[in-house]
Amino acid sequence: MKVLKKEKFPQIWQAINQAYELYLPIEKDDRVNFAQWTEGETVNLEALKTEISPKDVIFPQSETYLKFESDGKKLQLESVESENREYVLFGVRSCDAVSFNLIDNVFLREPIDRLYEKRRNKGTIVSLACSEPEENCFCSSFQIKPEEASPGVDVAAWDLGDKILWKPVTEKGQVLTQKFAQLMEDASQQDQEELIKLQNAIKEKVKELPLASVDPKVIKGELKEIFESKVWDELSQSCLGCGACTYICPTCHCYDIQDFAGGNCGERFRCWDSCMFSEFTLMAHGNPRTTQKQRFRQRFMHKLVYYPNNHGSYACVGCGRCIEKCPVNMNIVKVIKRLGGEG
Amino acid sequence: MEKIANKVRETARLALANGEVNKILGWKKGDFWYDSYPAFITEEEGTASLIWDSFCVANLSKYLIEQLKEDIKVGVFLKGCDARAFNQLLKDNRVDRDKVVIYGLPCPGMIDPEKVKKAGLAKGLLDVQKSEDEVVFITKEGEQKFSAREFAYDKCLTCQYPNPVVYDELLAEEVERNNTTEYFYQDVEEIEKMSPDERFAYWVEQFSKCIRCNACRNVCPACSCEKCIFDNSKANVAGKAKVDSEEQFFHIVRAYHVAGRCVDCGECSRVCPVGIPLAKLNRKIIKDITEFYGEHNAGVNPSLDAPLETFKLEDIDPFETRAKGGK
Ligand code: SF4
Ligand code: SF4
Ligand code: SF4
Ligand code: SF4
Repeated sequence: MKVLKKEKFPQIWQAINQAYELYLPIEKDDRVNFAQWTEGETVNLEALKTEISPKDVIFPQSETYLKFESDGKKLQLESVESENREYVLFGVRSCDAVSFNLIDNVFLREPIDRLYEKRRNKGTIVSLACSEPEENCFCSSFQIKPEEASPGVDVAAWDLGDKILWKPVTEKGQVLTQKFAQLMEDASQQDQEELIKLQNAIKEKVKELPLASVDPKVIKGELKEIFESKVWDELSQSCLGCGACTYICPTCHCYDIQDFAGGNCGERFRCWDSCMFSEFTLMAHGNPRTTQKQRFRQRFMHKLVYYPNNHGSYACVGCGRCIEKCPVNMNIVKVIKRLGGEG
Repeated sequence: MEKIANKVRETARLALANGEVNKILGWKKGDFWYDSYPAFITEEEGTASLIWDSFCVANLSKYLIEQLKEDIKVGVFLKGCDARAFNQLLKDNRVDRDKVVIYGLPCPGMIDPEKVKKAGLAKGLLDVQKSEDEVVFITKEGEQKFSAREFAYDKCLTCQYPNPVVYDELLAEEVERNNTTEYFYQDVEEIEKMSPDERFAYWVEQFSKCIRCNACRNVCPACSCEKCIFDNSKANVAGKAKVDSEEQFFHIVRAYHVAGRCVDCGECSRVCPVGIPLAKLNRKIIKDITEFYGEHNAGVNPSLDAPLETFKLEDIDPFETRAKGGK
């Protein structure tokens, strides 16, 4: 275990940036979001959650993967390889770190998604434990432990005031640590003790959170029964069908494939899509989902029923972003509670 | 507000009980102090959960489009800005006035949870109460009082019509307007002071933040098309790619499509998850329209002609008289 003094941050950002692309929570116009670091940016590691989840670092909102050109008779296809260097994503909170594993379940199973796999393998993820969980956090409802290194991260870090504790957990994490070891010191006995204190404090805070008692297991019964529940009629009425909740959510991963067609040449790209959009399931024969109720139900059935059936865990990490951002205060907590018979 | 909230519940209960309406659109309270959310109520006993507080910011009028697809009569609670929105929907032929009973709520201004959070007051906050010009934050440790203006939404600080402009029944006494027009255009004037290049750079940067979630469009009472071109793959004009050109295209179309019909409710700015100041753009257009064709406040009086929907011979040619060049 190492210690990195906060006064060394500017130096380490510079150093990492030489060898990798570096993504950090960056503050702009009063808002904090993950973005690629360049000299002069305001890094904000105090803000607990970025407004939008960092999933666009591992799964960009749009990416071109094919270029095409036709001379009238022959169609030429050219596969586009991503040009990204290896990257470091620094300061990921536990919920968001777990969300990466959930997206992996979808893209890294056969048939493996080539673009995603490449980009994912290039990344080294450094998590940062949540010293101050917020009112709308409910990660503990999904057995996520914000005081610990989340499964899948390469380095786990904890904020100890004027320094961070730095613990490499994977080989990639070791490599990163070795590269910049000259900027770090070994953790002392006292640091280790402070860590335990911090972890205990976080555990206590999490227990006290207003949503700590939210439990997705209250949703019981057969898939068909849940699907046909009256609750969907009731809850979906207020949904505007905007995609805000899906685009800020760390676990939503649906995408669309579209062409930029320009005469005889063009690009094929994929981009995020939202099940809340009216043309989401539009196919050649028409659209099987024609009402907002059906779309709304899809979002939550996917997270709370289908995904768990397929992968053994819920597809929500309790980050609370949808609670904060839905224009009409509809969110997954309300859905869980209603499906569980409350209210 | 609690006294008026009682009236809200009672009005709704009676309306359902005597069959005046089949459904009530109001607000309910959720888990958090800021969590006032739209409620759709058909049973008399459901009306007990209705509320009226400083967080009933969601505009209920646009829901009427969907709700009135069923052959029912709907009772709806509308604030000042919501009532203007209703009038605009009426003008755009999206709702049927005869199928709606409007309960007007003079609005004292709503509180912006983001401002509360920024001031560091959100932690441990249990309840927020408002009386006249004061707002009281209640935590386990006790109470703290502040001036309500400090925490009001920007849009409420410049609101010109806090009293509903259309209603069947008004549930409280009208509130007084204390906002001035100078303040109204402050944001716009800041932008106008920029050079064309600065202005262009400013908007390019703002729009590049857009994640194309469509929240601004879907919340907007002036955006009520049956099928938006951005949802119509057959229209072949728009893509979902996260690139500057698509974002700018979306925003130009959005701003111009609501030009002259925007009721200045500020909902687009409020709901944008990345904080793009769309209201500045709308107000610039409102200001220009006012300068070119005289004052027009969309949604205030739906029987008036809208300047961009009518043509008079004496209308000025903005390009000739006002073209300034630049980007
Ligand atoms: S739940 Fe909220 S954020 Fe999600 S689509 Fe509906 S209105 Fe938009
Ligand atoms: S559904 Fe909501 S709380 Fe769950 S991961 Fe998505 S944004 Fe976070
Ligand atoms: S453009 Fe914005 S301010 Fe204007 S009516 Fe629509 S949501 Fe309201
Ligand atoms: S709400 Fe904001 S992010 Fe969403 S489409 Fe509108 S401007 Fe873009």
